[in-house]
Amino acid sequence: MLTRSFDKVEKILEKYEYKKEMLIKILLDIQHEYRHIPREVVNYIGVALGIPPAKIYGVITFYSQFSLNPKGEYTILICDGTACHMEGSMNLVKVIEEEIGIKPGEVTKDLKFSLDKVGCLGACALAPAMVINGEVYGKLTSEKVREVLRNIKERKAE
Amino acid sequence: MKITVNGKQVEINNGSKNVLEALREVGIEIPNLCYLSETSVYGACRMCLVEVDGKDIVTSCTLTPREGMSIKTHTPQIYEMRKGILQLLLASHDGDCTTCEMNGKCKLQRYARDFGLTTNRFETVSKKAVTDNTSIIVRDNAKCILCGDCVRACEELQTVAAIDFAHRGFDTQVVPSFEEKLENTECVFCGQCVAYCPTGALSIRNDVDRVYKAIKDGKYVIGMIAPAVRASLQEEFGLEDDIVMAGRMVSVLKMIGFKKVFDVAFAADLVAYEEAHEFLDRLEKNERLPQFTSCCPGWVKFVEQYYPEYLPHLSSVKSPQMALGAVIKKYYAKELGVNPADIVLVSIMPCTAKKFESEREEFNGDVDIVLTTRELVKVFKSTGMDIKMVDPEPFDRPFGLSSQSGLSFGKTGGVLGSVVEVIADKVAVKNVNTRQIFEGTNLTEVELENGKIVRGVAVFGLGNVRKVVDKLKSGELQADVVEVMACNYGCIGGGGQPYPNDIRTRTKRARILKDTQSVDVLISPTENFHMRQLYEKYFGAPLSHEAHETMHTEYRHRRRVQEKEIEILPLPTDDEDKIEVSVCLGTSCYTKGSYEILEKLIALSNNEEWAKNLEIKGTFCVENCGKAPNVVINDKIVDEATIEKIKEVALSEIRKEERDPEVSKSNL
Repeated sequence: MLTRSFDKVEKILEKYEYKKEMLIKILLDIQHEYRHIPREVVNYIGVALGIPPAKIYGVITFYSQFSLNPKGEYTILICDGTACHMEGSMNLVKVIEEEIGIKPGEVTKDLKFSLDKVGCLGACALAPAMVINGEVYGKLTSEKVREVLRNIKERKAE
Repeated sequence: MKITVNGKQVEINNGSKNVLEALREVGIEIPNLCYLSETSVYGACRMCLVEVDGKDIVTSCTLTPREGMSIKTHTPQIYEMRKGILQLLLASHDGDCTTCEMNGKCKLQRYARDFGLTTNRFETVSKKAVTDNTSIIVRDNAKCILCGDCVRACEELQTVAAIDFAHRGFDTQVVPSFEEKLENTECVFCGQCVAYCPTGALSIRNDVDRVYKAIKDGKYVIGMIAPAVRASLQEEFGLEDDIVMAGRMVSVLKMIGFKKVFDVAFAADLVAYEEAHEFLDRLEKNERLPQFTSCCPGWVKFVEQYYPEYLPHLSSVKSPQMALGAVIKKYYAKELGVNPADIVLVSIMPCTAKKFESEREEFNGDVDIVLTTRELVKVFKSTGMDIKMVDPEPFDRPFGLSSQSGLSFGKTGGVLGSVVEVIADKVAVKNVNTRQIFEGTNLTEVELENGKIVRGVAVFGLGNVRKVVDKLKSGELQADVVEVMACNYGCIGGGGQPYPNDIRTRTKRARILKDTQSVDVLISPTENFHMRQLYEKYFGAPLSHEAHETMHTEYRHRRRVQEKEIEILPLPTDDEDKIEVSVCLGTSCYTKGSYEILEKLIALSNNEEWAKNLEIKGTFCVENCGKAPNVVINDKIVDEATIEKIKEVALSEIRKEERDPEVSKSNL
């Protein structure tokens, strides 16, 4: 019945003992919980921690880990670091677009997938690489990318 | 301390914070775009580079002076570097100087000229820029150089922090949270960000055209000028010893088409008089002390947002601007035989927040237009008149007479001093002693004949104010009356004052205002016979019913963040039948059990017939955390709420509606 409860936010704040200096940790947990940082939550934690909302907004927009719009259930990070770029990771972006219909920075309408381009995943030996919800997929080819995405789509369909 | 500067030995102040400030004292203003002496050092613009001991090139703002160091301030290498920085800044800068508010006053423009940048070797790139031209403080980020002066002024000096850097790298912008318009944020409109902005990224909404339109439309245009305005106008026109500037201003305004020009210092006398009586009354009853002054609209919004528990402590007397506004529209219009609707009252203020104040709904538009000093300067300059050659004319009577006290409202300590003057007239005062107790904070102890000591505090700068209020709250500081001015050094440092508006200029203005004051023959507000006449004619006595009707007001709780409420149990019924119950879900209320209350309310509405018309909503932070949990029922705050208490208030609201449905409808 509660369309939006601050219960979860309170749990997170409690976990970090309402400490100002834990802002980034708190925001990371909120991002994890809601898949984005909702505006009401920014105002809420602003009052709870005694940090002006403008400052929190600055932190959120500075780090790319945080997003103001909901990310997909599956967040795809495609690497555009030097090694991956040289191995043609940008061609894979096109493959992903064909498969799920979104460009980097976008989210599918059903909120299932979101796609982002990142600088380097630190998996240069596996170039070209991508990470989906923390899992690394390396030495990618167009076929492999299609397969991975199709598997995920089916997983939910079951 | 001795250091060598450009090959010459100079003596610098031992206490200098950094080389930039030290060199300022010996006559070298190192170019800089991000240095504010009142705030922390940012070191971002890199313009203030100097060469140290023939090798390192470092920023002088972050360099601590040391005995015997050798500084070069202007080598060919430094010159090239500065030029490069300027060229890079200009490459992404909206250089449309002729239409810029800061044209002629812009630091970037000045440096570009001084460094001979007639062309730029870099290609111009335009960046995505946030603009906000509907708020009182206008933002155009295409002109922003990211020096952060506004951010630091807002956060460190005023402790409001309504704006901050957002995004990253080339996309960095200074914006309020979620790029909201300033008027919907916690901004108190003190305008200190505008005062410190070196470029035209921040400016003030220009209302000059509205004045010309009123004159053109044949309205009865009345002007009134604040004390602080004359001091900065003298400085702006290079007439610092010209104590009759106010008279010249009256003349120019009359020539433009103003029918009457009054002195806000008169209103200051009036307010001080009324406020002193209010204070004596509270002192006698020992209630709502300390009494806080309420002349400063930035401070008023600050209390409404951050210290609602002190709202009853604010003097309920309107500010001089609004008090005189009410007097003119209510009584003077009749004396003139002019319909108040045909009067356009133009208030000329050093202050940006006064624009906000005049638009507050409590004051029903008594003051129609507020012009800041800078807007007035534009009007004057555009006339082409040589202000020195304009014959001064006295302010119009009756609201043109003022005492030294009234004039002193323009600077810190002025309001308190005036209140003390009035008190001294009422009760015998033995001794008055003023001393500084903290930064920006003076304590005045007034010893009365009966040995009782009245303690008055005068504080400026909202950051200092926050410290003082917290100390009053904790009991560390005791005071009976507190004067607050939101801007450093008081109204003379207001956000609407001419550039530069830094410490040096503000101290100078305080001196100019003092000189102007000293020629006034009246000392205390009580000597202002026109003011006394006003009492005889209309109010009877201070704090009378009529005085309350006209000159007093009340302030309200204001949430820092304007936000929609969260629908929890929306009702399909018509608006007039339902009772709105909003439960605060903020941290303090949450820990005091607001969620349980919410659950119980939902159960109540499901189980009991009478409660069907309760529309239950979630809200957060009604700024009354001390008395959590809070529930708002049809605009009434129920604090320390229990389900029983809520039931009681809700039932009485329902009964009220049943009894008199028409009244409750019109209340909606």
